[in-house]
Amino acid sequence: MITANENQSWVTAHADVALTGANVAWLKQQRQSALAQFEKVGLPGVRDEDWRYTNLRALKSNDYALSAATPLSIELVETKNPRLVFVDGHLDLTASTGLSDCVTLLKDSLELVKDSFGSTLPKQAHGFTSLNTAYAHDGYVVHLKPGQVLDGVLEVVFVSQSADAVSHTRNLIIAQANTQCTIVERHIGAHGTVYLNNVITEIIAGDNAHIDHYKIQQESDDAFHMGGVFINQSKNSQIKNHNITLSGLVTRNDIYSNLLGQGAHIEMNGLVVGQGRQHIDNHTEINHAVPNCTSDEYYKTVLDDHSRSVFRGRIIVAKDAQLTNADQQNNNLLLSKDAEADCKPQLEIYADDVKCSHGATVGQLDPVSLFYLKSRGINAESANALLTFAFANEVIQRINVDSVRQELTQILAGELLSGLEELV
Amino acid sequence: MLKVTNLHASIGGKSILNGINLEVKPGEVHAIMGPNGSGKSTLSNVIAGRDGYTVTQGSIEYLGEDLLQLEPEERACEGIFLAFQYPVEIPGVSNMAMLKAAMNSIRKYHGQEEIKAGEFLKLIREKADLVEMKHEFLKRAVNEGFSGGEKKRNEILQMAVLEPKLALLDETDSGLDIDALKIVSHGVNALRSPERAMILVTHYQRLLDYIVPDYVHVLANGKIVKSGDKSLALELEAKGYSWIEDMDDTVAAVQQAS
Repeated sequence: MITANENQSWVTAHADVALTGANVAWLKQQRQSALAQFEKVGLPGVRDEDWRYTNLRALKSNDYALSAATPLSIELVETKNPRLVFVDGHLDLTASTGLSDCVTLLKDSLELVKDSFGSTLPKQAHGFTSLNTAYAHDGYVVHLKPGQVLDGVLEVVFVSQSADAVSHTRNLIIAQANTQCTIVERHIGAHGTVYLNNVITEIIAGDNAHIDHYKIQQESDDAFHMGGVFINQSKNSQIKNHNITLSGLVTRNDIYSNLLGQGAHIEMNGLVVGQGRQHIDNHTEINHAVPNCTSDEYYKTVLDDHSRSVFRGRIIVAKDAQLTNADQQNNNLLLSKDAEADCKPQLEIYADDVKCSHGATVGQLDPVSLFYLKSRGINAESANALLTFAFANEVIQRINVDSVRQELTQILAGELLSGLEELV
Repeated sequence: MLKVTNLHASIGGKSILNGINLEVKPGEVHAIMGPNGSGKSTLSNVIAGRDGYTVTQGSIEYLGEDLLQLEPEERACEGIFLAFQYPVEIPGVSNMAMLKAAMNSIRKYHGQEEIKAGEFLKLIREKADLVEMKHEFLKRAVNEGFSGGEKKRNEILQMAVLEPKLALLDETDSGLDIDALKIVSHGVNALRSPERAMILVTHYQRLLDYIVPDYVHVLANGKIVKSGDKSLALELEAKGYSWIEDMDDTVAAVQQAS
C-alpha cells in the first residue's frame, strides 16, 4: 500500500525544479491536472489489477532526483546514422547529430506539439504517466509535413549515468499524411547504476503514414525503466513497433495503439530476454475503434535464473469495428525452474463480423528438436543455446532495417549463443 | 561394428522389442523390413539414443564399446547417424549453422580443430550438389517449409557432411515420389564404402530396388523372424506381410511349446 507521504515525496522532490515551458498556458494546465491525477492515484501497487504481478518495492525504497546535465561518460558504438544523445534526460549537443527542421527538441517545439502533447495518453493513466506529464523536461520531436520522408534511420540514445537520477522524458512523433520515418530508440545505462528512466513516446500517425519505431532497452542491471508508447493512427497508416528488453532490473512498458481510421495497421513485436532477478512487464493494448483495421502482435520471452515476465495483451474491437483482423501471439520459454511468466491475453470483442486469433504458450525447449540436434553430434549445452537463440531470433527477423536486425542478431548471439556466435 | 544381442525395449511400459539379435560389419548394408508396429523405428531410435525408450534386457555393442552407456550426442560423435523418419523443423536455425555446429562439436570431441569457414562452405556446397539441393536451401531454417522430399534429401545431405561410420535410415523412402526416391538413393549409394555400414529401415521393397542391401531382415512383433539376402525382400513383396505374421505365430507357438 502506498501512503500519501510516499507520493507526496515525489511531488516535493521536484517542487523547486524549473519546468520546461513554465509560462506556456496549455502545458501548465496539463501539468496541473496530471499532478492532481497523481496525487489522487499515486504510484501503482500490486493491488491495482494492472500491476498485480509487478512489485515496485525496490523502486520505492530509493529516492530519486532530477539530474543536472553532465557530459556523456559512456562510450557509444559508432553509427553512420544521425543520432541524438540524451544524458539523464538532457540533450548532449556535442554527442548529437541529426537535429533539423523536422527533428527538434521538445523544449524548443512547444508551439508545434501543442495539439498533440498528451493526445494519445490512455484515459486511466497510471502514476508514472502522470508524473511524466507533470515533469517532462525534454525529449525529441519528429514532425513531418504531408508527403515528407525522413530518409534513413534516426537513432535516439537515452543514456542514464548518474546514480539515483530520475528522468521524465516525453518524445513525440507527429507524422502527417503520406509521410515515412524509421526511428530507433535505445535506452542504455552505466553499469551498476541505480536510476529511474520514465519515458513516454507519443506517435500521431496521419493518413497513410508509415512509421517504424524501435525501442531497445539495455538498461543497467540495477535500473528501473517505466516506459510508454502511445499511438493514434489515422486512415491507412502503417506502424511497426518493436519493443526489445535485454536488461534492466524492473521494466514496465505500456504500448497502446488506437486504430482510429479505416485501413490502419499496427504490428507490435516484442522480445524479452530475462536473467538474474530481472522483472519485465509488458502491457499492450490495441483498440480497434473503426472497421477494416488489422493488427498483428508477436511477443516472445526467454527467461533464465529467477527472472519474471508479465504479458498483458488487450485487444478491443468496438461495436462498429466490423471486418477487423487481429492476431496475437505470446510465447514464453522458461530455461530455469525458478523463472516465471505470467501472460494474460484479453480480447474484448463487441463487433460480430471479425477475425481475431490469439495464442499463448509457456514451456520449455522441445525435446524432439533437442534430440534432433544431439543426434547430429551437437552437445547438450550447444543444442539448448541454439534452440533458445532460434526462439528469440524469430522476433529479430521481423525487423526490416538491415543494420538494426544485424546488430540485434549479434547482441542476441552474444547473450544466448556463448561460444557459437560465429554461427550467425 | 554393431552387435545387438537379445535386445528388449519398451516405451511407456509397453514392450516393443522382444529379443533382437543383429550383427553388422563395416561396409555392409542391412535392410530391416516389417509391418507397421513391428518395432522397426524403435530399433533405430534405441541405437541412436532417443529418450523415452527403456532397454529392459540385452545389449548393444558398438566398436567394442557398450553403446547404451553413451548420450545421443556421444553416439553421433562416435559415428552413428540417424536419418529421421519425420525430420524436425527448427525455425530460426539455418541448415548451415546446424551443420557447422555439428561438425565442430564432433571435431572437438575428437580433439580436432574447428573447420575453417572456406573449407566448410566448399564441403557443404559439394554435398548439396550430391543430393541435388539448391544452395539457397543451405541458408534456410532447418527443414522449415521444406516439402517431404526436400526434408529427406536434407537428411542425406547431413549424413554426407557428417560422414558417419554407421548410418540408420528410418523409412527414408516414405512420402517420396519416384524422382525424389532416385535422388535420395543416389546420395545414399554414393556414401556406400567399405568402412561405412548402413541399416535401412523400410516398409516397402521399392527402396531396395535402388539401394541394394547385402542382408534383409524381417521384423515382426519386436523380433527378427527371418533373415536372408535381397531376394527375401522380393519374396516378401510377393507374399505380403501376412506371410510373416503367420510365420511369427508359428515361431511363437514353437517357443511356447518348448
